[in-house]
Amino acid sequence: MYYFFYRWKRRLLIALALIGPGIITAVADNDAAGISSFSIAASTFGYQIMIILIPIMVLLAVTQEIGARIAIVAEKGLADLIRERYGVRLAIAMYLLLFLVNLAVVVMDVAGLKAALSLFGLNPTMFLPMIIAGLFAFVVFSNYTIVERFFFVLVLFYITYVASAFLAKPDWGQAVTSLVIPQGGITPRFFYVAIAIVGTTVTAWGQFFINSYVKDKRITLEHLRYNRIEIYLGALITVTLTFFTMVAVAATLFTHNIAIADAADAALAIAPFAGAFATVLFGVGLLFAGVLGCIVVALTTAYAFSEFFGYSGSLDESFRKSRLFYTTLLVQLSIGTIVAMLPGVSLFRITLIANFINGLILPVIFYFLYQFANNEAVMGRYTNTKFQNWMLAGSAVVIVLASLMGLVGQVVGW
Amino acid sequence: MLYFAELSGKRVVSADGSTIGRLTDFAFLATDQPLVTKLRVDTKVGHILVPVSSVAAIKDVVTLTSGYETVGISENELSVRIHLLDQQIIDIKGNKVVRVNDVVIQDKPYLVIAGVDVGILGIARWLKLEQWLNRQISRFGTSLRSDFLPWENIQPLELSRGKVKLKREEAKLTKLAPEDLADHLERLSVKNIGKILDLLPNEYEADVVQNLHVSRQRAFLRSIKPEHAAAILSKIDPDEAVDILLTLSEHRRALITPHITPEAKNQIDYLLSLATTDIGNLITTDFFTATPNETAQKVRHRIKTETTLDKPLTYVYVINEKKELIGVCNLHELLLTEGDAPIYKFMIQNVVAVYLTTPPEIALKKMVKYKIYSLPVINEKKQILGVVTIDDVVEEYQRIAN
Repeated sequence: MYYFFYRWKRRLLIALALIGPGIITAVADNDAAGISSFSIAASTFGYQIMIILIPIMVLLAVTQEIGARIAIVAEKGLADLIRERYGVRLAIAMYLLLFLVNLAVVVMDVAGLKAALSLFGLNPTMFLPMIIAGLFAFVVFSNYTIVERFFFVLVLFYITYVASAFLAKPDWGQAVTSLVIPQGGITPRFFYVAIAIVGTTVTAWGQFFINSYVKDKRITLEHLRYNRIEIYLGALITVTLTFFTMVAVAATLFTHNIAIADAADAALAIAPFAGAFATVLFGVGLLFAGVLGCIVVALTTAYAFSEFFGYSGSLDESFRKSRLFYTTLLVQLSIGTIVAMLPGVSLFRITLIANFINGLILPVIFYFLYQFANNEAVMGRYTNTKFQNWMLAGSAVVIVLASLMGLVGQVVGW
Repeated sequence: MLYFAELSGKRVVSADGSTIGRLTDFAFLATDQPLVTKLRVDTKVGHILVPVSSVAAIKDVVTLTSGYETVGISENELSVRIHLLDQQIIDIKGNKVVRVNDVVIQDKPYLVIAGVDVGILGIARWLKLEQWLNRQISRFGTSLRSDFLPWENIQPLELSRGKVKLKREEAKLTKLAPEDLADHLERLSVKNIGKILDLLPNEYEADVVQNLHVSRQRAFLRSIKPEHAAAILSKIDPDEAVDILLTLSEHRRALITPHITPEAKNQIDYLLSLATTDIGNLITTDFFTATPNETAQKVRHRIKTETTLDKPLTYVYVINEKKELIGVCNLHELLLTEGDAPIYKFMIQNVVAVYLTTPPEIALKKMVKYKIYSLPVINEKKQILGVVTIDDVVEEYQRIAN
């Protein structure tokens, strides 16, 4: 009996120590940009849009697991492997694309942060640079463990979306059935929006981040199984949060036929139906989603830089030692903040550009994941299963469609 | 000095000029002296490995000898592309330092990996942007230098385990400027030359010594047994042999000469007997020097403004900060080279030079043999003292003959 408890206690402790990369990466996929997409989708299609959530969850779980497995087995990041096996030219091209797409996402997240600040009557011109500078200093001066705890605090704030959903008094029965039973026909516009949501959830930076972050945590091969569970759990949590966000918007704005342009709009617009407190909750959620998003995405660029070019880069290292790593982080955050604060910058256009590059680069990343995860020299006996390969190939097709549809949608004006 | 980025993809032709394929990789020995042993050539029907002994020349194209061999890979051989290029360099404590951006290969006296380029120019070279980048940077009045890690910093044993590991901590690394790299390696190889000669086929022995810089030849011959020195001297060109002998003390010379093979000894004795006058009174101190990082454009400009026609100028001598002679470049090359190329990239590194002890006859023979119009005269520290020109030497020769 004692032994039984002892064993479970031990397992639980290991599991707790390993928790982090899967949940953080997956939840960060619901960044400020993501919340905007979900709000727009839910206000346009209501519960009908829920049907795509389970496929997204599977897609996210499978692709993230492959990236994390490569990092644990090969003890190398995706960028490390690309540079070592495909040479410097391809490495530079990939890095430039990743830098651009990540920059666009950082801009969107800082813009979300800015909108949330305005929502609470705080002057963004004053507070935004302060917050970003504070965040940067925090990341520089603390180690991996502390930064990870901070990420978890940010993740906890996503609970506000759950609360908003309850305040919206939705039809829970309909919401849940919509997850599995298609409601209504599929129009081109529905398809377009659905695929945009796939694009904000399964991202280029997500693939690089999970991999670098797992590597930085130094998870060992014996804990591969726990890590896999954690990643699946992360996908589940993320999609659950998406579900509640969508419920909050669908039950209010869709029901009353109110169109919105972004997440801050949504926060304001739900007040008449769910109360002022719901607006506050939604706004707080957006604020923390912006913080989590901009740090995680800018960190991805920094990790990728140090892997592609071989410089020291770890949250556990000092600024002196990982100078270029932290400088990359600073550059992304600074440019992101400046662009987001420029008057007259079209966030809509930046979103389009980001989605387009994302669609361009993701199939390439999946190709690399496929190559590395099936290479016995890299993975030993931990190569991909057939199912995982099919999922990867399927995702690549979906993502290519997404970026093509994005372009076509832009031209046709869906 | 050759860069892998510039060699990779070069056309490989046979002795009659027909294309065989493209150069894609080198095999090298994972030792303290990383000799390049084989070239990988990708042909239309797969790839072949060619031993370096079958390579006639590496210029714009790689020319193989007629009847070149193809071989397989052997144990203890690693690939530049797989084991070195793009790999992560870690220091002795396991810290990440940087990646290998390019691999630097020394071609004289034998093909050997000199070190790795870890600087931004190493990356620019792959993108064919090196010249452009240099040009842009020079607009701001400064210049980019490559960062080299000489081979001696790398643990060869770790390479076969897939790691480019350094022998020391990152903070204690010595990075060298490219122009000093060859010199640095030569200094090392004097120490290790015994090992190299063991690795190389015997007929290369003389070649290796002959191609060492003069000051190194002397150091080397003093470091080995007289019998061994004599064996090497017997194989090399008698003019060279005499020149090297004359730099040694009489005592040392007396120890070596009895062991020289009879055929070589006759010629060497004859040449030594000529060595009655030295070259000192033929020296002129009018010569033109440049520093390794000066661009062709700048050197051309300096020649225009700083020299006059009454003092003839045929070569530009390149000297480093320690005033050591590290290279030479003739005017034709200087004219043909792109303006923004630094001189160290196109200078000839193994300079034919003479000592104050060198007899004018031997200087003349060297001039004729290498088709050189003036020779630098250097001291033991490799510093240039002056030059002797062909007209002065010929005059002296005629004077003696009369």
